[in-house]
Amino acid sequence: MLKLEPIIWLLFGAGMMVGGLLLPAIVLVLGIAGPLGFAPAEALSYERIHGLATNPIGRLVCLGAIALPVWGGAHHLRHVWIDFGGLKTDGLVGPVLYAVALVTSVAGAVAVFQL
Amino acid sequence: MEGETKKTFVVTRFDPDQDEAPRTDTYEITVQPDWKVLDALNHIKDHVDPTLSHRWSCRMAVCGSCGMNVNGEPKLTCKDALSDYGDTVEVAPLANFPVIRDLVVEMEGFMEKFKAVKPWIMVAKERAIEEGTYRQSPEELDAFKQFSMCINCMLCYSACPVVSAEPDFLGPAAIALGHRYNQDSRDEGNAERNEVFRDDGGVFACSFANECSEVCPKNVDPSGAVQQAKLLNVIDWATGLVVSRGGK
Repeated sequence: MLKLEPIIWLLFGAGMMVGGLLLPAIVLVLGIAGPLGFAPAEALSYERIHGLATNPIGRLVCLGAIALPVWGGAHHLRHVWIDFGGLKTDGLVGPVLYAVALVTSVAGAVAVFQL
Repeated sequence: MEGETKKTFVVTRFDPDQDEAPRTDTYEITVQPDWKVLDALNHIKDHVDPTLSHRWSCRMAVCGSCGMNVNGEPKLTCKDALSDYGDTVEVAPLANFPVIRDLVVEMEGFMEKFKAVKPWIMVAKERAIEEGTYRQSPEELDAFKQFSMCINCMLCYSACPVVSAEPDFLGPAAIALGHRYNQDSRDEGNAERNEVFRDDGGVFACSFANECSEVCPKNVDPSGAVQQAKLLNVIDWATGLVVSRGGK
């Protein structure tokens, strides 16, 4: 775990950034503006969004939006756990949380590249 | 005298020869309007109870000796106005340190953490006197000056949830000090210090609660130093993967 800290911290930093900035924007556009009709319907049409999500860069962005916040959340939860006195069990809890993030990332990658 | 008020001080006491656990003593004294918490403790020691032990020296927020928990928050008591408190003031030793007696805590472990970050200028080859002084621009000074203002009062260690959970954590002040030397244009010891920072209990143990910077009486912003140190450490680590440093 020790030597992986820098890379996990980078994923955490990126994940918190994506979770804080990109996800609210996606929710605003797809979850609120779209259904309420604030966004033009043709801009959010299936073909258009499908084209965006299957573009090579689009796939990477989708993967980042799925995987990075999970890494951010896993690392954050681990530190919350330690702050609340869970240091003794960190050797178990840390790897489990990161394993969840890894599995989610792989599943996300498979899903995104099968679109 | 005008403005005098009465305040009750609930002070944590502990005598290792007699007490199994810390207890409290209560003192009701008359305080002057311009008194700091330290003035009240000195008054208690001089006039009420000479057995009370507490550390202090300069009375002007420079020496860093008089840190204590006042109403549960780490404070430099010589800088902490009594007028900010109500009728009852609780004074306890700093948290996260072993107590030697009453309000006096053991600093040994703290000093060891300071040594661990190698807080001195390291150069591969000392410059000869004829070659002149090491010159530094105002910008180069600005890069670290703030982090050099620490007075080692240990308030940040008392406030830090990570220090509380992981006693081996280097802690805010030591990391800020190491970072201060890493940022110094005259220093060449980054690689060595970054290895200490990267180790167990190093910068990545910090959970960014930011409590250290909240309580710092000198506005050092140790939390900022730790976050900067994390980023520089990641860059250093990633560079190390591609570039061999030779000999290390």
